[in-house]
Amino acid sequence: MSDRVLIANRGEIALRIMEACENLGLDYVCVYTPGDEQSLHVKLPRKKGKHCFCISSYRDANDILAVADETKCTAIHPGYGFFSEDFRFARRVVKRSRPLVFIGPRWEVIRDLGHKLNVKKLAFDLGIPVIPGTINPVYSEIEAEAKAEELFLWQEEQGIEPPRILIKAAAGGGGMGIEEVDELDQVRPVFRRIRSYAKRLFGDEGVVIEVCIRDYHHLEVQILGNMHGELVHFGTRNCTIQSIGRQKRIEIAPGFDPAYTDYPFDAQRVLDEITDYSLKLAAHVGYDSVGTWEWLVTREGKAFLMEVNTRIQVENEISARISRIRGREPNLIEEQIRAAFGDKLGYSQKDIGFEGTSIEFRLIAEDTKQGFRPLSGVITRFEFPEYEWLRVRTHVPRDEEYRIPTEFDPNLALGIVWGRDTSEAEKRGEQFLKHTVIEGYTPKGEPLKTNIPYLLEKLPEILKFL
Amino acid sequence: MPLDNREINQLLQSLRANPYRLYVVETPHTGYLREFLVKEGDEVTGPSGKWMERPGSPLFVLERERNPKTIRAKISGEVAKVRRELEGKFVEAYQPVLEIRHTLTQKEIIAELLRKTLHIVTAPERARYFLAPDLAKRIEKEGEGRVVVKPGEELVIMSFMKRETPIVHQGEPMVVFRLFFSRGQMVEQGEPLLGLCLEKERPYVEKLIARVKEEWPV
Repeated sequence: MSDRVLIANRGEIALRIMEACENLGLDYVCVYTPGDEQSLHVKLPRKKGKHCFCISSYRDANDILAVADETKCTAIHPGYGFFSEDFRFARRVVKRSRPLVFIGPRWEVIRDLGHKLNVKKLAFDLGIPVIPGTINPVYSEIEAEAKAEELFLWQEEQGIEPPRILIKAAAGGGGMGIEEVDELDQVRPVFRRIRSYAKRLFGDEGVVIEVCIRDYHHLEVQILGNMHGELVHFGTRNCTIQSIGRQKRIEIAPGFDPAYTDYPFDAQRVLDEITDYSLKLAAHVGYDSVGTWEWLVTREGKAFLMEVNTRIQVENEISARISRIRGREPNLIEEQIRAAFGDKLGYSQKDIGFEGTSIEFRLIAEDTKQGFRPLSGVITRFEFPEYEWLRVRTHVPRDEEYRIPTEFDPNLALGIVWGRDTSEAEKRGEQFLKHTVIEGYTPKGEPLKTNIPYLLEKLPEILKFL
Repeated sequence: MPLDNREINQLLQSLRANPYRLYVVETPHTGYLREFLVKEGDEVTGPSGKWMERPGSPLFVLERERNPKTIRAKISGEVAKVRRELEGKFVEAYQPVLEIRHTLTQKEIIAELLRKTLHIVTAPERARYFLAPDLAKRIEKEGEGRVVVKPGEELVIMSFMKRETPIVHQGEPMVVFRLFFSRGQMVEQGEPLLGLCLEKERPYVEKLIARVKEEWPV
């Protein structure tokens, strides 16, 4: 029997998984919830005669598994978000009476690396630098205040002015459930707020308290492993340009480019260092899928491991765009699926080269001048140019009006450009943004705003310590 | 108040002329629709009891992951239509399977009137809504129809596109007379969330409720 993949996700990632399945000759089944009927991840498979089922929620494991059984799927791809980093779901998928392949890391790996504090503990034990702060989740206000006081004093001793800490949900992610605190008096109320938020959203009250690192770049290392113990990396990415809610807006691969801008430290040494450390941790846990190691790099060139994302990332394609396996560009979703089905890599790190710079822009309906307020409404016109160096990943149809669903992030499209060097990629990025048109209206009848002007404004800042 | 006496009389008259609503029962999730437990013309009852502890009449059996689940009526009335062709088949979530013709109760008539007479705070977006924690605590303590909110106080938290946005009371201090949504409910844009009234309007609203109670059988 040939394999069939249930795509337990929506939007552009569902479309990219479909494409990867088609390239690998795999059949697939899609799901959707009310409000997503207009999305291309529903329309395209239907047009191709593929199954597409309405389920109660993308977070309803029973519905997803019922559809998988009904359609005789042999594997589940969780995409990103939803069940992608839920070790209980991954465990259920592989341990049920009719087991399926979970396209992601082993559930034990998700459990161990999915929790920020576990990662911090593991990294600390391996001698990998982590952000100064709590190693265990904090549940008590008194303990939180004591730890906060200790971190404020440490920063004063280090001459960091003004001292500031971060209070964040231990089980959080995607920039949610994080607040900055610069006075000891604020610690208790903020702690209470984050704890209640964490319980409501993540079902775990645990809170992390750590030093708030300022003036940093947010870097990522793209790792791929498999069950045969093979482990490679596909370089680094820079995701420093983020909204005030710490959600990424522009991502660039590679993470630093000394040929494009000057750094107050040896940039190549730092990139090598974070890659080596990431591979060290991945090898230690027997990492067996695609994953991202997230780092903060300060102006002084100090790197701290922040967390590990045990899933395919939104921005995976920029790493693929600059990577060449014996001269061929990889598709990381295909590599992830192959790893889950037990394939060997068929190449090693020495076969992987890097070429050029790739930039990804997240096109979002939001008011960047009002705290990046997400906007709903209807898109009436969506046009973008076509170039051989450009890929646009979107679930928004261009031949009809599209109502933006209100239950998810208002992400509309990803624009991925490639250039022979960073300057060319930057110019091409500007060209893409200037020729992209998104028009529509909000529920109040006002013109729909997008973040394109913001992306244009931020583009010259990429990769630079300003 | 938004409605005068003449308009209220007209509304009550129209409700007397057609006191029915047609409710479409949908599958709550995917699964096999094993069997219908009702036929067209059957009378069904919704949940009842002080705490709704008595469940509604069984309507059909939906089996998912080898767990059969009896789906029960959430509203009383007469079964108007049954989609027999779905029996034994795998159904998607939110698929309409039967219809119930429901006769409006006194409580529902009052709710309809209050939607027209109170100052309504509507949902600005299709989103999930939660009562603001402070207001929820006060209502729990003092009871519905007794809490006064002042300008600037948070009424409702809107959970929209993964963000939580508070909806704040604007204008004069008002009594929170009626809640039209339950915790975490998905409310369509423009649908009522809260019904407010000025302190001086409260006797009029209470009189209106008394009138419906008198004129409309339980």
